[in-house]
Amino acid sequence: MKRLGFKLPSAGLFIAVLLAGVFVLLPLGSASEYSFRTPALGPGTYGWDNYAWFVSQPDFGTFITLSLLLAAVAAGITLLVLVPTVVWLNLRGQKLRPLMEFLTLLPLVIPVVALAIGAQTSLPVELQSNQYSLSFFYFVLALPYTYRTLDIGIRAIPLKTLSEAARSLGASQIKVIALVLAPVVRGAVIASVFLTIALSLGEFTLTSLLHWQTFTTWVTVISQSNILGAIALSVFTIVAAFALLLVVGLVSIRTKRRQVTEE
Amino acid sequence: MAKPLSNTVDKGAANRGALVSDFTRQLVPILPLLVLIVVFLIWPIVNVAIMAFEDNYGNFTFDNFVVASQGVYAQAFGNSISLGIYSALLASIPGAVFAYIIESRGSEFLKRIINSATSVLANSGGVPLAFMFIAAFGAEGSATVLLKAIGLDIYAGGFTLFSYWGLVLVYCFFQIPIMVLVFSPAVQALRREWTEAARSLGASKWQYWRHVGFPLLFPSFSASFLLLFASAFSAYATARAMTVGTIALVPLMIGTLIDGNVIVDQFNLGKALAIGMVLVTALAMVPYLLIQRRVARWQK
Repeated sequence: MKRLGFKLPSAGLFIAVLLAGVFVLLPLGSASEYSFRTPALGPGTYGWDNYAWFVSQPDFGTFITLSLLLAAVAAGITLLVLVPTVVWLNLRGQKLRPLMEFLTLLPLVIPVVALAIGAQTSLPVELQSNQYSLSFFYFVLALPYTYRTLDIGIRAIPLKTLSEAARSLGASQIKVIALVLAPVVRGAVIASVFLTIALSLGEFTLTSLLHWQTFTTWVTVISQSNILGAIALSVFTIVAAFALLLVVGLVSIRTKRRQVTEE
Repeated sequence: MAKPLSNTVDKGAANRGALVSDFTRQLVPILPLLVLIVVFLIWPIVNVAIMAFEDNYGNFTFDNFVVASQGVYAQAFGNSISLGIYSALLASIPGAVFAYIIESRGSEFLKRIINSATSVLANSGGVPLAFMFIAAFGAEGSATVLLKAIGLDIYAGGFTLFSYWGLVLVYCFFQIPIMVLVFSPAVQALRREWTEAARSLGASKWQYWRHVGFPLLFPSFSASFLLLFASAFSAYATARAMTVGTIALVPLMIGTLIDGNVIVDQFNLGKALAIGMVLVTALAMVPYLLIQRRVARWQK
């Protein structure tokens, strides 16, 4: 799969990327154009006023921090619970795979609004009154995507052979996991963490129906008072989330490359 | 995706006792995940299902379902289902083609960028998405003005962004990325050896697709299609931001019932609507399972 040197992109690839660019940039670019308008300074003038407006809102920092925190906790659950489970299922738990495939498909069958009613009526109050319960919901809602991403990525790797080889060479169980298994499953793990973070940052339905306030619900409220500011905020949420994931993704490519060259 | 585990079955028949203990031993490490799924998904929905059959005093009744299947609610189900079908139809093919091109020809770097972008766009929605489209394709949106300048007036045919078809258009913005996201792994699984084998046996490009590529990708494609259906069928945030109640959709109705904005005679009507939605998505999964079984037969 490794590309040797630079290769000219084929025409099909070029057209596909171009069309995708138009698809994303037509709405996003138009919204950006609006977001820089400064009608107070006269028609046809542009500036950062609308961005300054939402940044200066007292709750802006609070809710961004909260949403990032909730996303981080959800990502943590993915790392601590889901990743070991999928690795285990691929190593030893073959018989349970059909069950897990079914269970992780359920969040798609059960609409979020339906889950919201259930959560409101049946979960214990202590759980409902804890804001971090949202992270657990986000984790569950992301499962159809995260489980499949992890499973497909990990299934392609001969985990059993690798771990047996390492064991026979005298590595301890911990060493096998940290030095052999963790590096080879990294790509799939990063992709699934991405999906969890993206879902957590964008989730609105469950959050608002359970009457919590996060960044997304705050955007909905604040956008009623300033249209241009709201458009600026919309552009910001999408661009910022993309930038965040891109940085994580590129850093992970770099560390991988460094490891390869070190070897 | 699901592969039959035929190789483990005959072993079990020989030693059933050992199999059971084997099964429980396998179960222990996945318990944390099972507990989370039960507490945050299954337990709440089971409660909804039970309460959907209760009247205001907790007695068993079918009345909630009777009301939920009539009048404005039946209309809402019709709207939501057709919205799901149309947006899945519009998004699945471009998404699949794009996923194929990127996966088969894109560099590692490009794939990373696309992956980040699709993860974000697939989860975009609600007010930010609505505002973006209003700024772009609203009556005075910059894209509308731009397109008009090159002779393309999207408002010529009486189109508005706040109509049913406007909603379908807006949904494409997250539906196509979802398609790319879920269909890419299937393309990755297409091995280069298969193309080469087909070619070395003298197959034309068309023959390769007709007999190898298409049959292999079709199950994943149909599964992704159903997923898109479910996603649009149950989308709430974007519909709420875009339509302000002008189009009857089931998720919006459930939302207003939960918020207590609308008072109805039956407290549990919202739960019956919710279970109705679960039934529709569950039914949509039936063709998927049938396709899977057919595929499993010849994949052995």
